[in-house]
Amino acid sequence: MKRYNDFFGSFGGRYVAEMLRAPLDDLQEAFLQAAADPAFTRELEETLRDFAGRPTPLLKAENATRELGGASIYIKLEGLANTGAHKINNAVGQAMLARRMGKTRIIAETGAGQHGVATAAVCARLGIPCRVYMGEVDMRRQRPNVFWMERYGAEVVSVTTGSATLKDAVNEALRDWAASFPTTHYLLGSALGPSPYPDMVREFQSVIGRELALQLREKGVDCAALVACVGGGSNAIGFFSAFLESDSPVLIGVEAGGRGSGPGQHAARMNGRGRAGIVQGYKSLFLADSDGQLLSTHSISAGLDYPGIGPQLAHLGEEGRIKFTTASDSEALDAVQFFARTEGLVFALESAHAAAEVMRIARDYPREKSLVVNMSGRGDKDLFILARALDPDRWTAFLREEAAR
Amino acid sequence: MSAPSRIMAHMVAWYPDGVSSLEVARGLADGGCAYIELQFPFSDPTADGPDIQRACSAALEAGFTVDAGFECAEAIRRFVTVPLFIMSYANLVFTRGMERFLTDARACGARGVIVPDLPPDYDEGLFRTAAKLGLAAVPVLSPSMREGRLSRVGTLETEYLYVTLRTGTTGSFTEIDSSGLEFLSRVARMDHGGKAKVLGGFGVSTREQVQAVSPHVHAVVVGSALVRLVAAGGDVASAVREMVRKLSGAQETVGA
Ligand SMILES: Cc1ncc(COP(=O)(O)O)c(C=O)c1O
Repeated sequence: MKRYNDFFGSFGGRYVAEMLRAPLDDLQEAFLQAAADPAFTRELEETLRDFAGRPTPLLKAENATRELGGASIYIKLEGLANTGAHKINNAVGQAMLARRMGKTRIIAETGAGQHGVATAAVCARLGIPCRVYMGEVDMRRQRPNVFWMERYGAEVVSVTTGSATLKDAVNEALRDWAASFPTTHYLLGSALGPSPYPDMVREFQSVIGRELALQLREKGVDCAALVACVGGGSNAIGFFSAFLESDSPVLIGVEAGGRGSGPGQHAARMNGRGRAGIVQGYKSLFLADSDGQLLSTHSISAGLDYPGIGPQLAHLGEEGRIKFTTASDSEALDAVQFFARTEGLVFALESAHAAAEVMRIARDYPREKSLVVNMSGRGDKDLFILARALDPDRWTAFLREEAAR
Repeated sequence: MSAPSRIMAHMVAWYPDGVSSLEVARGLADGGCAYIELQFPFSDPTADGPDIQRACSAALEAGFTVDAGFECAEAIRRFVTVPLFIMSYANLVFTRGMERFLTDARACGARGVIVPDLPPDYDEGLFRTAAKLGLAAVPVLSPSMREGRLSRVGTLETEYLYVTLRTGTTGSFTEIDSSGLEFLSRVARMDHGGKAKVLGGFGVSTREQVQAVSPHVHAVVVGSALVRLVAAGGDVASAVREMVRKLSGAQETVGA
């Protein structure tokens, strides 16, 4: 696949006001130069190895396989990367690019806080001042990540406009960047936004897919399907990247089914629920009303709670290369508990949507066939949500005691 | 005393509500504005600062729909003779369909449309379709534009050009310094023969700013300053009327 596509079928593009055209042109050029520069790629690989902890393991989940009673289950442990999610791959790449472009400040948006934490950590290492925009609602539900971002020295700015979630944080970062681009890089965290972001984020995340292809070959795994959760789509596109141009394995993207199929109850944009639109600089499918006003969304996982989907995924979905399905809030909670109990792994609530799908389809396949799920993140950040959902009485009692101390 | 400066007065359709926004338009017209820029509120206005953001969410709360926006424009046109431009974001235009949006715009008497996130080359047929329908599609130019890009937009030879005097979002005060004026002269150089009517603004709220910009443009755009007056409530029609009078300098002329 080409490194820079701009459009994927009819989706993608660079629908921004003129003032952001020049900075995006510059970014595209700098990215393509860096990607072709062996010195840049060597330093990127070293940083991913020594700082991010790559390669991440591919674990054979034997207990889960036995209990589910069908396909062999494998788990790509992206959550073992430093800062706890795949987000670090893209953060390292873009921050190195920003330094190369001579930028002296970095801004980012974050939903679950994993992208914010990754960006803040990389900025700490590179000594670049960092500001992270985060919806007020997300700050509340992902409080541990706010705490960690601040420890890394980042300034976390609460966004109160709109639904005060991820999309509003993106809006606020775009507004900052419209004035600050001469000195500032906008380190966008998912495979969305105006070009070159969807292409660039895929390239930086494609390390997941390259490792996976190698690991599957080394272990001799006969892989029937890959399963990833889809917020904006960065872990999915990176995980799938090595397989997009062949017909197999089956690729499955899992969106947030939330608590129902009505408007505002979920964040599932595929399978006819989203409409074609142009928002935040790119054309894709969005949850919007008949006028094009964005609808509110809901997911138990802040990282999937977003009304748009990356343009390349939307295109691959329409083409049929990627199949899309949903998992509900409660299925995601069940999946967290199942894999904690069987495999000693706590999935992030985002990634647990993919795990839920694997639990659902495992029996459709024989043992010789394998399903690989991307554990895009680990669930440490979700302690407060999980505890309130799974052990409310003891947890609130504990919080009361702590607060009183 | 020189002739009053031309003002393009911006307002948000259905802010604070459907009926009151007509009063705002009346006030702007009574104040002597030369153009009205009517913004159709979008849920996610990324180019706007806090004042216009708040106005847009309030207008949506009040029940704004795109159909209601065109009705609002038509109602304004019934008592306002100055040209009216509809400003909005790509998604409202794209969702309705380019042809239909522009046909509706023409039917309600708009002179043209301004859609900053549909720039030439990523415009979904905006410029071509508008030309076909006899509407003015207005490119929005910014000081960060490279020469090549500026001349590319120049080749469209549009009747109007909208120039932001600085980068960033709407709202905060713009110091009218050499960089903004320098950009206006770059635009003038690009616009061979100076045929285009330049609408210049962004962060203009004082008579001094208008005086500094006015000689270099066809009309000065005033946006957030007026929206803030509407936000303050009370007799908004008189408030915006007086501000347009003051900014255009009509008051000085009359009083002299
Ligand atoms: C662990 C994890 N997985 C997935 C996502 C969703 O983003 P994307 O679809 O870009 O991978 C997030 C976003 O915050 C995340 O933290």
